[in-house]
Amino acid sequence: MSSVEQKPQQPNNDNITHFGYKTVDKSEKESMVASVFHSVAKQYDIMNDLMSFGIHRLWKRFTIDASGVRPGNKVLDLAGGTGDLTAKFSKLVGKDGQVILADINSSMLNVGRDKLRDKGLVQNIEYVQANAEYLPFEENTFDIITIAFGLRNVTDKDKALRSMYSVLKPGGRLLVLEFSKPEHELLNKAYDFYSFNILPKMGELVAKDGDSYQYLAESIRMHPDQETLKEMMNNAGFEQTSYHNLTGGVVALHKGYKF
Amino acid sequence: MTISMAAITDQLMLKQALSSALEKVINKALELNVNDNSALKTLEAKQLTLLLDELGFPLTFTVSSNQVLVTNLTDSDCTVITSINTLKKLKASQQLTDYIKQDLLDIQGDLKIAQQYLNLAENLEIDWQNELAHYIGDIPTYQLSRVAHFAQTKLHFAKTQIQADLSEWLVHEKKLIVSASELNDFNGQVTQTVARFDKLQQRLEKLTKHINEG
Ligand SMILES: C[S@@+](CC[C@H](N)C(=O)[O-])C[C@H]1O[C@@H](n2cnc3c(N)ncnc32)[C@H](O)[C@@H]1O
Repeated sequence: MSSVEQKPQQPNNDNITHFGYKTVDKSEKESMVASVFHSVAKQYDIMNDLMSFGIHRLWKRFTIDASGVRPGNKVLDLAGGTGDLTAKFSKLVGKDGQVILADINSSMLNVGRDKLRDKGLVQNIEYVQANAEYLPFEENTFDIITIAFGLRNVTDKDKALRSMYSVLKPGGRLLVLEFSKPEHELLNKAYDFYSFNILPKMGELVAKDGDSYQYLAESIRMHPDQETLKEMMNNAGFEQTSYHNLTGGVVALHKGYKF
Repeated sequence: MTISMAAITDQLMLKQALSSALEKVINKALELNVNDNSALKTLEAKQLTLLLDELGFPLTFTVSSNQVLVTNLTDSDCTVITSINTLKKLKASQQLTDYIKQDLLDIQGDLKIAQQYLNLAENLEIDWQNELAHYIGDIPTYQLSRVAHFAQTKLHFAKTQIQADLSEWLVHEKKLIVSASELNDFNGQVTQTVARFDKLQQRLEKLTKHINEG
């Protein structure tokens, strides 16, 4: 069993990074993350509901509420996966607005596209396969960018944040929804127990894929905590950065503006 | 460490839980509506924000593809500021302006949108009897029919009694100095109460009939 005590230090060699608790070459991480999401894509929505007891829906609602989205806005749902946020944004921006669901992984994009089409959401959504580090959009394109449970999977997070900053319009805002550090020690312990003992077993039972869910738990622990991520956003150029802890800090929503 | 009430509400995402529940109820009601929902078409992409005194946070309704989305977004085409009490009383859309004059309600933005949303709400009528019949079997239906019959008799009695008491009260109390508007108000309330009883009675009659036929 993995435990928090075994959590490794941040790598100090520029060419290596983390894949969960493993230290891997930066060039390898992308394809390893890709194989995780190719493997979980079909079961992703069911597992999300199961693992979070459905609370991920409220975390996402909170994100929409904090986005201040208006009809006519152009929104980028980055690492959008199966498109939960895209679906809501699509309804809120209306026919004069546009939502781009971008993800690096074709399997996740396909599941997302099928799901949204089944819901009759077609008119204002575009699907783009893209890496968050190199966004293929013009500067100053989007009113809102969201990245939900995606940033921790990205190899070079600073680069990705700079890329998001560049494609955001002046006056636009970035929202990063991500697992974070629980505020209370007791909750932290309970959460650890859940993540390392129950979650991979659930993954094994339901999705027949314990390894991917072990990676999920480890990647959450390796992700920067609230203050560190806020600092990273500042360094990428974002202003008025702030964060909101949700569910005791299990998840945090970071917000930053480009002026 | 002190945590404010607002922070707890945020952490537990109570506002989002409320919007989610409201969204489900509204869309279910629209689905069960026996009248047609054509008013939804005119509301496509139009947003209404409700700021209720009791809640302290906005509820924003957006219509998209004949469904209503509920969020806590603050900015919209029309904002109605009022209380749950006034909202409950709000019936015909003409009343909107009356309530504004009485300072019970304030509207910022496009008044027409508020009226269209109100029309949509007014147009909702659910055939509870029919819906109920889907869920219960013969024996509970029979028992319910008896309960309904009993309640109907009791209600009829209560209505007659209240009417009698009120007329007696009016005869005796008229001697006291009561302003014309107060009296009008009161008369209005009596009429409303009687009308409500009538409506309830009609529904019960319908229910009994439906159950007996089924
Ligand atoms: C846990 S899922 C989140 C999906 C969705 N946003 C949600 O909240 O349900 C993470 C997503 O990030 C995507 N992803 C990982 N690395 C990425 C990168 N470098 N650029 C873009 N997307 C990436 C994955 O393919 C996966 O779909």
